[in-house]
Amino acid sequence: MTRDELLEVIEAVLEKAEVPDVVATLTENRDAAVRFGQNRITQNMDTFERKLRITLGDGERKTVYSTHRIDTDAIPEILATAMDMLKTASPDPEYMPPVPAGQVYPVIDAWDSLTADADPASRTQAAARAINTAKKNGMEAAGLVGMSYENTAIGTSTGNLAYHRSTDAYMRLTLDRGKPSSFRFLSAEAWDDLPVDDAIREVAVEVESDENQMELEPGEYRLILEPQAACDLIPYIAWSMNARPADEGLTVFSGRQGEMVTGGNFTMTSEVNGTLKGTPFNEEGFASGDVTWIENGRLVNQPCTRYWAAKTGREPLFIPGTLALEGDSGSIGDLIGSTPGRALLFRRFWYIRFVDQKELSLTGMTRDGVFLVEDGKVVHPVTDFRWNWKPLELFSRIEKLGAPERKGQLSVPPMIIGPTAL
Amino acid sequence: MIDEMRDLAGRIVGQLRYRSVDYGDARVENTDLESLTYRKQRLAESDFQASHGVGIRVLVNGCWGFASCSGFDSDLVEKTVDRAVSVARAGAGVMEGSVRLSEEVPSIGHYDGPCERNPFEIPRSEKLDLLARAADIIHASPLINMSWSNLRFERKRRAFSNTEGSLVSSDLVFSMPTIMAYAVLGDDMQNRGFQEGARIAGWEWIEQADMIFWAEKCREEAIMKVKAPESPSGVMDLVLDGTHLSLTMHESVGHPTESDRVLGWEASMAGRTFLNIDDQEKLKYGSEIVNFVADNTMPYGVASWGWDDDGVPGQKWYTVRDGIFQQFGSVRETALLVNRKNSRGCCRAMDFASFPINRQPNFYLEPGKEPITPDDLISEVNKGVYIEGRGSFSIDQRRVNFQFGGDMFWEIRNGKKVQPLKKVIYRSKTRDFWGSCDGIADDRSFKTMGLLTCGKGEPMQGARMTHGASTSRFRNIEVGRGAE
Repeated sequence: MTRDELLEVIEAVLEKAEVPDVVATLTENRDAAVRFGQNRITQNMDTFERKLRITLGDGERKTVYSTHRIDTDAIPEILATAMDMLKTASPDPEYMPPVPAGQVYPVIDAWDSLTADADPASRTQAAARAINTAKKNGMEAAGLVGMSYENTAIGTSTGNLAYHRSTDAYMRLTLDRGKPSSFRFLSAEAWDDLPVDDAIREVAVEVESDENQMELEPGEYRLILEPQAACDLIPYIAWSMNARPADEGLTVFSGRQGEMVTGGNFTMTSEVNGTLKGTPFNEEGFASGDVTWIENGRLVNQPCTRYWAAKTGREPLFIPGTLALEGDSGSIGDLIGSTPGRALLFRRFWYIRFVDQKELSLTGMTRDGVFLVEDGKVVHPVTDFRWNWKPLELFSRIEKLGAPERKGQLSVPPMIIGPTAL
Repeated sequence: MIDEMRDLAGRIVGQLRYRSVDYGDARVENTDLESLTYRKQRLAESDFQASHGVGIRVLVNGCWGFASCSGFDSDLVEKTVDRAVSVARAGAGVMEGSVRLSEEVPSIGHYDGPCERNPFEIPRSEKLDLLARAADIIHASPLINMSWSNLRFERKRRAFSNTEGSLVSSDLVFSMPTIMAYAVLGDDMQNRGFQEGARIAGWEWIEQADMIFWAEKCREEAIMKVKAPESPSGVMDLVLDGTHLSLTMHESVGHPTESDRVLGWEASMAGRTFLNIDDQEKLKYGSEIVNFVADNTMPYGVASWGWDDDGVPGQKWYTVRDGIFQQFGSVRETALLVNRKNSRGCCRAMDFASFPINRQPNFYLEPGKEPITPDDLISEVNKGVYIEGRGSFSIDQRRVNFQFGGDMFWEIRNGKKVQPLKKVIYRSKTRDFWGSCDGIADDRSFKTMGLLTCGKGEPMQGARMTHGASTSRFRNIEVGRGAE
């Protein structure tokens, strides 16, 4: 559907709803991807979905109804069903009307027409090149190559109306030869911006260097995190940051706004239209903006719902789909070369889970490459092992940061963390 | 509605035959989902999702093509048929196709899952009243700072047809109650929740699960935990109840025995397995008393769908028998590759928009045949921990090295439960752990857990399966706190 057709459906919902408070969202999503494993294509997909989501409120109660029925003739029937639900809902002591009129939505250029066209040949050929490289090197290739787009129109009964569209191109690639393995995740708004062939070539070289793994000797090591490894830890901090659970004593951030929670060289922000492209609004139609969450180690802002913000005097904030850690200059190679003494280099972590949410302590495994580094040189690969760490404690001991790299909707630098007992 | 869905699936397959694909199937789905959530003593969410659409899978020269669309609009469905064929041909033009499906007898039929009282016909006021009462009970203590109570009902109607002549359908109702209470004391927070999850059943499961009983139990045990001493450290024995084991077995038995993992198809995401194809019927997986039964005909099991998304009927088999690994759970595409003639019927997609993949079946640890109670098992432990319910969980990509927490812990000393504990985790390796099992209680302590959100695949798909076990004992396991 075109932008105008999507907005026409939204306006029809707003017009025909017989309650004062309405938010309607219509999303159109196409995702086309090739999946491969064991040096063969295992899935080749092209999926398409349109979904209408309607929130109705009468000043006391609210309800949410979503459906795949998308035509203006069906709207009275859809609204009647949603109204039946609303009538039976309980009054909500935390009821909030839709966001006020006059939301100023950032204009975010996150669209690439070629990527939206989702040409099956490009992604199939990329998968084939990864598979052929693996075969040539006695390895197996597995991963996913895809292109997607999303068009979203939103309207509120308070008078806001907005539209946003975005594309996403991505490749997740693992090459392995038994235990030796390596991994790369690439993403961008445009397919042409993905360095697919460079990644395939580099990952194959990295598998070679992962041969002859040795058991890790217990001791104290500096930790060198490649961007992907650092990136794997960040969401657990973000998920723990919400203001209300913190105020209710449920998270590690309870009572800590304004305090140092990491070292002074740790700054985490969200940006909506920089290197990373966020979303201009959330599901309430609330306008997004750039936010700094942790500034030079100090917790300066926390995501907060409109209700909790009104109750506590905070600013209502949400994460607009992106997170970025500030970095410095230099590549992972530069960081390795500058690391004194004994260190471990990590490519990626796996199966990270909370051990204790209140402490923000995590467990997980290493995956796809751990290497012993001595006096700035990679000595040999190490077998995977389990770790139990507190990320805020780790990020309180960052000795050096490199240049950030994009990993999906995150931008994260490589880093050296001070001596850690393992 | 089912008849119309079967007709549509049949018509799509007719279009696929016209396009001369080597194989084709169509899944037509219609799902209603109601979710009511109390956060503390307030209705925080009242959601209803009405979803319907079509997923079409074709084989051209041994290459898959899959396309889906939401809605049943005939023009859109026809375009979706074209897209499925188009992407299959794109694959066939680049790579030599390798897909070979096991030969299966075409199925024709319909399956209604067990449902005595349709939850969509229960007045909403009755559902909200139950949630409100449960929330009031949970918050009867000032130490409870937070709680979630939820009722989730899903009616999934599905029709499947393929070019080999299968035409099957099912009508399944999933019901799931959830309770979680959070106690805060000083700088600590501990939670406790209802642990048996979802069933293919109606409102009768909500009544049987008894949320009022669990509301009080969760409140009291969350408080007990937050006041309890922390875990001891060292090597000791574990006695684990069925709701706890549901997760340990899911991660360390269910996933490693999926056939797509041994083939390397999950190498980039969910991971591989420590098992090899030649390990079937040979490898010692656990002690001689360990028997795992896979069962996609299990009553109330959330993977008991009648037929899977290959159109293969639900089956029952041993995954592990007398401690020996028997065979992988498979789909039509993997069966021949793991040296089996037929599929075990483990092919399922999250929804119509997802490509169906190899998923875990329902499976359970067979109860002991001797009359043994959990107390009998505890009475023979000098130093150990008794654990109920699921907590933290993590396992490596080959499914060997794991660490688990739990939901409620009791210290065992000299054959008796002596005090509650908190912050307990244990670590082991899959075959060591199941090899250390020296006691399984009889079926009087058998409990099941129905999971709706097992993540696997790329793009990630959530899948559902039920696991069950009686309380069991494991010797000499490393226990400690996570940060140690």
